[in-house]
Amino acid sequence: MSLPLPLPLPSLFWIATALVVIGQMMILRSTVRAMRGASSERAQRGIEWSYAIVPVIALALVLVATWRAVERHDAGVPVSSETTT
Amino acid sequence: MTAPTAAPAREPSLARDLIALTKPRIISLLLVTTLAPMFVAGSPSWATILWTGIGGYLMAGGANAVNMYLDRDIDDLMARTKLRPIPSGRMTPRAVLAFGIAIATAATWMLAHFVNVLTAALALAGFYFYVFVYTRWLKRTTPQNIVLGGAAGAFPPLVGWAAVTGRVDLASIYLFLIIFYWTPPHFWALALLKQRDYGRAGVPMAPNVWGEQETIDQMFWYTVLLFGLSMLPVTFGVFGLVYQVAVLVLGGLLLWGVWRIRVRSAAGAEWTAVAWWVYKYSLLYLALLFAAMAADRHLGVG
Repeated sequence: MSLPLPLPLPSLFWIATALVVIGQMMILRSTVRAMRGASSERAQRGIEWSYAIVPVIALALVLVATWRAVERHDAGVPVSSETTT
Repeated sequence: MTAPTAAPAREPSLARDLIALTKPRIISLLLVTTLAPMFVAGSPSWATILWTGIGGYLMAGGANAVNMYLDRDIDDLMARTKLRPIPSGRMTPRAVLAFGIAIATAATWMLAHFVNVLTAALALAGFYFYVFVYTRWLKRTTPQNIVLGGAAGAFPPLVGWAAVTGRVDLASIYLFLIIFYWTPPHFWALALLKQRDYGRAGVPMAPNVWGEQETIDQMFWYTVLLFGLSMLPVTFGVFGLVYQVAVLVLGGLLLWGVWRIRVRSAAGAEWTAVAWWVYKYSLLYLALLFAAMAADRHLGVG
C-alpha cells in the first residue's frame, strides 16, 4: 500500500527549511538580546556567542547535504539510508 | 482479625540505590530513542536488539552515576536531588564513581563484542560528552548548558542506527538533531519551574540568567525549528505519510503548549501549570515520534 504525500518533496523541503531558518534566526536574535541584558564580561560574551554559532554552522551543513539528498531522491537515485533496509 | 495497616515505606537498600544511580526513568526514554531507530534502519535480530538495549542502558547508567559523583556538592542543595544516594549519605562518592566507571566499561566491551565497534565508540562518545563536556564544562558555566549539552542525550539514535547498519548517515544525523533541538524546550520548561533550586545550587540555567521571558521566547523558537527539522527526513524519502502525520499532530501540540506559556507569560497570567504540561508532554512527544518512525518504515505507507 502506498499513499501519495500531500506536497511535492522539494516544496516540503523549502517549507521545512524556512521554518528551521526562521527559528534559528530568532534564537540567535534572542541570544544576542539575552547576552546584552546579562551582566557578563566581554570575554564571556564571546564564548557565549561561539556556543550559539556552533549549532548554526552544523545545521547549515546538514541542510546543504539534505538538499543534495532531495535532488538525488527526486532523480530516482537511492539515498544511503534507503539502501540499508 | 487484625486492623489494616498502611503499606510500609520502601526501605533504602544497596540494590535500590545502585538502580537509582542509573536514573532508570530517564534511561527508559533513551532506550526508546535507541531501539526505535534500529527498526527504521532495518530489521535487527533479537540478539542485536538485546545487546544494544543492555549495553545502552549500562552506558547511560554509568554516565548518570558519574554525573551524580561530579554533582555531589550541589545535589544536596536542590530539593529534587537531595535524596540521591550520595547527599543522603547512603553511598560514598568513591563507590558511586567506581560503579559508574565499571558499568560503562562493561557496556563498551559488550557493545564492541556482541554488536560492533562503531556502536561501542558512539555510546562511549555519548558517555564522555555527558560527563566531561556537559557536566564538567558547560553545566556550571553557561546558560546555554543544555543547548550544546543536549548533544549528549542525542547519541542514542546514532548508537541504534550503527548497531544495525554499521555506519552513520544523513537519516541518522536527523534523528540526532531532533533530540538535540527537542532538549531546550523540554529542559527549560523544568528550569522555569525549578528556578529557585537551580539558583540555590548556582547552576546558571537560562531562566536564572536571561530571565523568564527571554527563555520562553527561545523555547518557542526552538519548537518552531524542531517542527520544521522533523519534517525534513520526509523530503529525501526516509519516512512517509505515517511519520508526517505524527510530526504534524505531535509537533503541533508541542508548539501549542509552548505558545500558551508564551502568551500567558506575556499577559502576566499564571503559566506554571502549562509549563508542567509542556515538560511532561515533551517526554511523550519524543517517545511517540520515535515510535511513529519505526511504524512508518514497517507500515510502508507513503
